[in-house]
Order: sequence, then structure tokens, then C-alpha cells
Amino acid sequence: MLHRNGSSALQRARQRARRHFANPARRRGLLIAFEGPDGSGKTTQRKLFKTWLKSEGYDVVTTKWNSSELIKPIIKSRKTVRALSPEEFSLLHGADFRHRVEQTILPALWQGKLVIADRFLFTGLARDVARGLDLDWVLKLYQPLLWPDLVFYFAVSPVTSGKRVTATRLPNFYEAGQDVTHVEDPVESYQHFIARVIREYESLALIFNFITVDAEQSIGDQHRQIRELFLEGQRRPWSEWNLDAVADWLARTGEP
Amino acid sequence: MSASKPRLIAVDGIEAAAVIAAARRALGSPARGGISHWDASGVFQELAVADEAAGAPSPRTLLLLYAADLAFRLRWEIRPALAEGYTVVAAPYVETAVAFGRAAGIPAGWLANLFRFAPRPAERRFVHRSGRRNKAGVDGFVGFGCHQMRGKPGGRTPRQIMTGAARELRKLARRNTRKVKVKSFNS
Repeated sequence: MLHRNGSSALQRARQRARRHFANPARRRGLLIAFEGPDGSGKTTQRKLFKTWLKSEGYDVVTTKWNSSELIKPIIKSRKTVRALSPEEFSLLHGADFRHRVEQTILPALWQGKLVIADRFLFTGLARDVARGLDLDWVLKLYQPLLWPDLVFYFAVSPVTSGKRVTATRLPNFYEAGQDVTHVEDPVESYQHFIARVIREYESLALIFNFITVDAEQSIGDQHRQIRELFLEGQRRPWSEWNLDAVADWLARTGEP
Repeated sequence: MSASKPRLIAVDGIEAAAVIAAARRALGSPARGGISHWDASGVFQELAVADEAAGAPSPRTLLLLYAADLAFRLRWEIRPALAEGYTVVAAPYVETAVAFGRAAGIPAGWLANLFRFAPRPAERRFVHRSGRRNKAGVDGFVGFGCHQMRGKPGGRTPRQIMTGAARELRKLARRNTRKVKVKSFNS
């Protein structure tokens, strides 16, 4: 009985989601993800892009990786004592992502806002697979999948990433992947680990059709390219791929 | 090293006190091994004291956290003890979380994938609710989850989810009787 009610609630939620997002009379929410390895300059570009969008009249919400108020403290305390296995690392970041999807991203999209995600689920996929976990297992943790309207991938070489990250500080234990490389020197470990992460990112870029930005060009050139690509891509119709994710959220929360 | 063959025994149920009692019975002598409890990693203890403004976790978020806690238990408690020749009673193990997820409307496929990393126990025991309300009302993972979610996720009250989880657990017990040794108890 409970399940029958549950599935009919899900059906109703799917219809409601489709009506809401596919309505051409309404300015629909947009989700733009910025992805790339550390030191690729995506945060700089995200800030420039946000400033420009606001000047163009967009209502912009930003969400960053590993930033939910509920889960972030749990992850932080475990990272501090280096207590996470690859599975725990993956599952806790998955929980953080799910909480932000439900509490921040979907409510903002429903209200017609533009959400910029500084790292999205692809960060979890690239890092977890680089840590030796199975891509299929990790990808399914993130179901029901919410696909961004655009994914900008900031491509840099492992050498550039390493130079930029280590120019002012030492990478931390998990950032350097020392939990899996077992290399004592964080800089050396980072070079090994980031090469693996970039390899995974490049595979994901092909599979999921990211828009690759050459992050070795000047900041101004990258920003202009992002603006142009955004203006070309923003009029894309709503993706039915997102129906399950929105319906799941609507059915659970009854929002808005 | 224990003289008997090391075994992983799963004890699943809704009410924590009944699950612990069944786990003690399953273990028999403490010299034979130990019991692995949920929240050994302290994740849920931290969640319980989180600021309300952080937002209530959904069933999926709670299940991801349960899986993270189980990964911790496997790494630090269950696998090392088995490797040393001891018996471990995991109380609760996977099926309690699956029953909670099913009662909250989470697809079975997602739940199966989530717990793919957990080894199959040599024996499963199920503790079924008697229908009496637990004194605390919120103990154990299912009670804690229902309490944490607040409101009516998916239009279901916490009580409906508790009842639904108990029903799902009975189904899982019936299904598992064909696969491994199963014992069911009424609390």
C-alpha cells in the first residue's frame, strides 16, 4: 500500500516537474558546472562569470564541493585525522552532494535561478576512480542523476596543476592522494595522483560531452570563451534526463 | 586466535535493544568474538547535534551515511576480527538499512549498489518488532532516521516508515531463507 502510494506520488511529481521546467513562458533555472583539477583556475573563472551574470540580470546561486552545513563538519573532522578509506571518502562526499542537491540546487532551479556549481558530481567520479574505486559503483551512488545544462572543463596538464598548487602551499593529505599513493612527500604524491585524476577527467569529458576550456590560456581569453559558450548554450531545452532527479526531490519534500 | 571457525553473523531489526539482545545470543561466549554496532564511526552522533539550520537529511543522505559507517566498521572491526579467527556479529548489518530505504520509497537497485562492498554474512538473523512501541521511540538506525528526517518525506509519517521498515524486514527475512541460514525472532 505504502509503495503503491509512493509510486503514484512519484508519477505525479514527474508530471509536475515536466510542466514546470518545460514551460516556455517561464524563465527556467539553469545549472552550470565548473570542473577541473586543482590549480586549473576554475574558481577565478567562476567568480568572473558570476559577476558578469549578475550584471546581466541573472539571479545567481553558487554551490561549492564539500560545503553542506550538515555533512562538511563530519568530513572535515575525519580528514584532519586522516581516517578515511576510499569508500568512506566517496560515500561521505556523495552524502554531502545529495544534501546540497536537495537543499540548495533543486530549490534554486525550481525558482528559476541560475546555479553555478564549483565542482559537481564529476569531481567525485574522477577522484574516487583515481583512488581505485569502480566507476559504475560510484556513478550509481549519485543517482538519481542531475545533469547540468553546461559543464565547463578547465583542462591543464598535471605539471601546470602541480606548479600552480604548490606555488604558495603544500597540498594536504587527501588532495595529494597520499592515502592511496603512500608517497611521503606531498608534492611528489600530488604529481602522481593528479595525473590519475586528470586521466579520469579526460575520459569523463568525452563520455559526458563537457565543454573543454584551455585553462593554460590567459584569464581574459578564458572568460570571453565562457561567456560566448554560455550564450550559445543557455537556450537549450530542458533535459528530460533530469526528470527522475526532480521528481524524486518533489515527491520527498513536497516542495515548493 | 579463536578455536572455532571465524564467521560473520548479521543481526538485523528495527528496535536496537532487541537487536543487541539477539546479537549477544548469536555470539554466545564473548571469548568467541565480538559485536559490531552501528555508528562505530560516530557519524550519526555528530549528525544528531548538527544545527537545525543545516537542513534535515533525506533518506538517501542517511543511507549514504549508514554505508560510510558500515565501511568504517568493516575496516576497523569486522575484517580484522575475522582475519584473527574471531566471529563477528554485525548488529545491525545491511538489511536494516535496506528495509528503511524500501519503506522510504528508495529503489531496490540503488540500495543493492550502495551496499555492494559489504561481504555476504555466513548467517543472517532477523529480529521482528512485536508491535509494541519502543520506550524511547527513536533508537536504532531506523528510529534515528525517522526522527532526523523531520516532517513527512514523500508524504509518509515517521511512524509509517517505521511500520513499513518492519514489513520490509519480514519480506527480506523470507527472501533470505533460501540463500543462507536465517533465524527470526519476535522481540
